[in-house]
Amino acid sequence: MSMRGITIVGFVAVIAALVLLEILGRNPRTRIPTLGDWLGYVMRPAAGRVLILLGWLWLGWHYFAR
Amino acid sequence: MTENASADSPAAASSVPAARPSQHVVVVPESRLPLGARPARNAVIAAGLIGYAWVLGGTAPFSLKALVGVLLPGAALGVIAYARPPERIPPPESVDVAGFSYWIIAIALLFEWEAAAVRDGSTSWHPSLTDLINPLLGPHPVKSAAIVIWLLAGWSLVRR
Repeated sequence: MSMRGITIVGFVAVIAALVLLEILGRNPRTRIPTLGDWLGYVMRPAAGRVLILLGWLWLGWHYFAR
Repeated sequence: MTENASADSPAAASSVPAARPSQHVVVVPESRLPLGARPARNAVIAAGLIGYAWVLGGTAPFSLKALVGVLLPGAALGVIAYARPPERIPPPESVDVAGFSYWIIAIALLFEWEAAAVRDGSTSWHPSLTDLINPLLGPHPVKSAAIVIWLLAGWSLVRR
């Protein structure tokens, strides 16, 4: 496999792991929080809220304005 | 989420005048109605979102229009979050540290993989995630759909 292929497989694997964590988090028998759960927890203080929203805005700028 | 109100309260009496005192009347505030309860309003919002995403998706990269198109919803959500926040989804009191650590590890891996690609100059043999995703966002409908998802994600974050 080429280096480019390895890089792509690496990204796909990590993103698949994130999706798997979300699926596992929806199972009440696991201790893994869902994305919404931990985002909500991180966004409890105002600083966390501002940081997460700025991250969202950065994503939009990065992919849609550049 | 619903609220129970006794039938003798003014709000309940006005909405259900025939209710007997022994009955529990469920009063659902307008902001808590399920998603499909106001189809006309939802259709207008959806059309507005898709239209906005279509226009933004058609702007040239690095243009002022594209920048304003991204900053505008950001500013709008910022104002809404600060001045008139919607009903928020109650956050959990705590999260399991061990469970949360799996997320941290996966996100750290993603950032490390991306940083390694950026450090190497995002060459064709070691491209960054951005350079892999940008060609996928090339077609106008795909980019517009991605913008719709981004806008909806922003709204869901404001509710958190």
